[in-house]
Amino acid sequence: MMPRRKRILRYFGYALLAGTAAFLAFALYLDLRVTGEFEGRRFSLPARIYARPIELHAGTRIPLADVEEELRLLGYRNGEREEPGWYVRDQNTLEISVRPFIFWDGPQPARRVRAEFDSGVLRTIVSESKEAPLVRLEPLLIGGIYPAGNEDRMLVRLGDVPRHLVQELVAIEDRNFYAHAGFDPRALARAAVRSLTGRTEGGSTITQQLVKNFFLTPERTLKRKFTELVMAVLLELHYGKEEILETYLNEIYLGQDRDRAIHGIGLAAQFYFGKEVRHLSVAESALLVAMVKGPAVYDPRRHGARALERRNLVLHEAKEQGYLSLDQYSTARAMPLGVVPKPPMGTTPYPAFVQLVQRQLRRDYDDKDLRSEGLRIFTALDPRVQGAAEHALASRLAQFDKEKRFGPPGMEGAVVVTDPQSGEIQALVSGRDARYRGFNRAVDAARPVGSLLKPVVYLTALQEPQKYTLVTPIDDGPFVWKSRGAPDWEPQNYDKKFHGMVPLRTALAQSYNAATARLGTDIGLEKVLDNVRRLGIERPLKPFASTLLGAVELSPLEVAQMYQTMASGGFKTPLRAIREVTTQEGRPLARYALRVEQAIAPEPAYLITAAMQGVVREGTAQGLKSMLPADAAVAGKTGTTDDQRDAWFAGFTGDRLAIVWVGYDDNRAAHLSGAASALPIWGDLMAALQPEPLALQKPDTIETVLIDPQSGLRADLSCPGALELPFASGSAPAGRAPCASELGVTVQEVKQKAKGWLDRLFGR
Amino acid sequence: MRTCVLVLLLFLSACASRREEAPATPSEAPPALPPETSTRQESVAIAGLMESARNDAAAGRLVQAAGTLERALRIEPRNPRLWHELARVRLRQGDGAQAANLAARSNSYAGGDGALRAANQSIIEQSRAAR
Repeated sequence: MMPRRKRILRYFGYALLAGTAAFLAFALYLDLRVTGEFEGRRFSLPARIYARPIELHAGTRIPLADVEEELRLLGYRNGEREEPGWYVRDQNTLEISVRPFIFWDGPQPARRVRAEFDSGVLRTIVSESKEAPLVRLEPLLIGGIYPAGNEDRMLVRLGDVPRHLVQELVAIEDRNFYAHAGFDPRALARAAVRSLTGRTEGGSTITQQLVKNFFLTPERTLKRKFTELVMAVLLELHYGKEEILETYLNEIYLGQDRDRAIHGIGLAAQFYFGKEVRHLSVAESALLVAMVKGPAVYDPRRHGARALERRNLVLHEAKEQGYLSLDQYSTARAMPLGVVPKPPMGTTPYPAFVQLVQRQLRRDYDDKDLRSEGLRIFTALDPRVQGAAEHALASRLAQFDKEKRFGPPGMEGAVVVTDPQSGEIQALVSGRDARYRGFNRAVDAARPVGSLLKPVVYLTALQEPQKYTLVTPIDDGPFVWKSRGAPDWEPQNYDKKFHGMVPLRTALAQSYNAATARLGTDIGLEKVLDNVRRLGIERPLKPFASTLLGAVELSPLEVAQMYQTMASGGFKTPLRAIREVTTQEGRPLARYALRVEQAIAPEPAYLITAAMQGVVREGTAQGLKSMLPADAAVAGKTGTTDDQRDAWFAGFTGDRLAIVWVGYDDNRAAHLSGAASALPIWGDLMAALQPEPLALQKPDTIETVLIDPQSGLRADLSCPGALELPFASGSAPAGRAPCASELGVTVQEVKQKAKGWLDRLFGR
Repeated sequence: MRTCVLVLLLFLSACASRREEAPATPSEAPPALPPETSTRQESVAIAGLMESARNDAAAGRLVQAAGTLERALRIEPRNPRLWHELARVRLRQGDGAQAANLAARSNSYAGGDGALRAANQSIIEQSRAAR
């Protein structure tokens, strides 16, 4: 029999053995996790969505103030001539140090340019004293498609991080970093003593902090602390200091921008200083290092004094540990925080547009890739246009609320702005609160379009020039449509009157319902619907006569597509939000190419546009005349639904097409009209953007003839109020108006005769 | 007297027609002039982009060339030569339908530029032949 003492010792031995085995198994498990996850872990990088870049060249139509605003939004610094990314304004001149940027078609190096502006136009631009034909500013980042937790970061290599930043970090967070094996007993002891005296201090090494952020949940238990310590030691066993440091710098949380979490030193440098990390000064680096302890508590934009105090503590520690000379220290200490003002963006300030971009991307990319691969998405969004559209909608709706003219407060609206030539979507506003991520009215709200469909009816008529011209008389008498199995349809006019025989262009300009319904049924509903499809509406439409007057539900974006085809001379161009996609490094992955398709012949497209110019010149949209210069020659159409629940305005200038819808989400009864509610929003928007006049490209097969508006016949200069109107060749009226008979010749004939006379004179 | 009235009318109609034919309608340029002079002069910025697109196309980098031409078109959307160049790139990419449509788009801005119209017509015919 064994002595009692020996037995106890043996049991103790077993227990020790079992304990060691358990610890080893635990350590092995942790080791597998550390190596497996650290090795396999790649930071998930959000896809970044960019606005269009501003192109600067002699002749760019952009006011200096707008370029300055863009630079401000890009985080360029005003007035400090140091690293790329600053500008100086001197009266009409902007000196810009443009940052380098990798565009989809290759890198553009940093460069310094001087641009001179005059009355809203960039006149000259020179670069390093040579003329620079074309300079792209880097595009604004307008959003992203984020991984879980909306973590945003920009990866940096340790080699790009300034030495002083690393030294400051080590000085304040982990002074024995280069010496310890993952944990620092002295720091732990110090922390323990301090916590006894009531002051809390981490005592965690950089390695431990990394382990905590990387592998563990934020609970604070002894067991977790122990696990953290073991994992830190294991991490140090497997990886070098440099590797650990680089991962740490990319991992740390350094602030919050609404719902977007700012991670890593690379993004933080951009977010707080508008700089690349390699350009951070001693003082700037110290501020970022100071924030590691608590980005909310030491937020330099909110708690400037507190942040400054801790920054100076970081500088002091760095000096004490010999990383900074006394000179460097005093210079840095004297610096202000130097944080750039940056409007909060969150995941995006333009949720409606970004949602559309995401939908288009999901057709071509995996959602997982979009949230992790750091793809760069270049879009057409123009923040200037977007801003003007948001402002026009919100301020008018607020005014309508106050007046209660159309209905109770709470009316909503949507705006789409495109470039009629390229089909690019420049702005998308989905409601009065453009920051709200909710129902995307511009894309998803299908509402009756009312009179917006009328131009298609007239376009269809004008495709038969031998039967219909702009002056063909159309009957606006009472009209009844009978079809079996349906009640009779008797459209009324807006003014509850019938107007008898009216010229075709007037029926459109005044938006007469009876005339339009009769015209549409005369030429054939099927032909009209076919044109609606050709213009780009894919949704099937009901083959009812009431469709002619807009008993059709379309989204503002669909309406934009339909009008785009008319605005670009009959060439359908699918609307696009995205231009290009590249990898994180800038390798091009995809281009969303410009495609055109001749959907409508040039002549009717020209004629309908001229007729829509008449809507503004002498029809239901005359209200625009007081808002825009007369030479803008805008073409457009008001839209009001039968029951006045929806109001629209669709129109275009020489350089932009915009669709405005207003109404109530619950579709309640109201007294809306396109002319009174949607049109002013459209006018405000365009007025803010100084529109290019709409100068139509006249096809050779179109001739202009002076017409007497009274008789619809050929006029000459002695006819009062004579108008020059376009006609497809050979379709102009032959007869002469009574007022023109005195001279017996028309202007065209005089021109002809004069030309022949001159030709004879010069013997040509 | 009749001549006086005629001269006056001639003067007036000249004024009227000049206003009507604002810069965007070069279609009534005198046909007697040789085609080159009716072709508009490219701005330095556009000329630079066009040259780089031509270089890309010559080197077979057609996607790049198309992208550069689209960039130029965003700056000068009514420049018929840019639409024409883009049509040529699409033709080389084997997209005859797009080439023909783009050539038609070029024609819609070509005005009296006979040489350019002829070149566009040739693209339209080639794309038809290829289909």
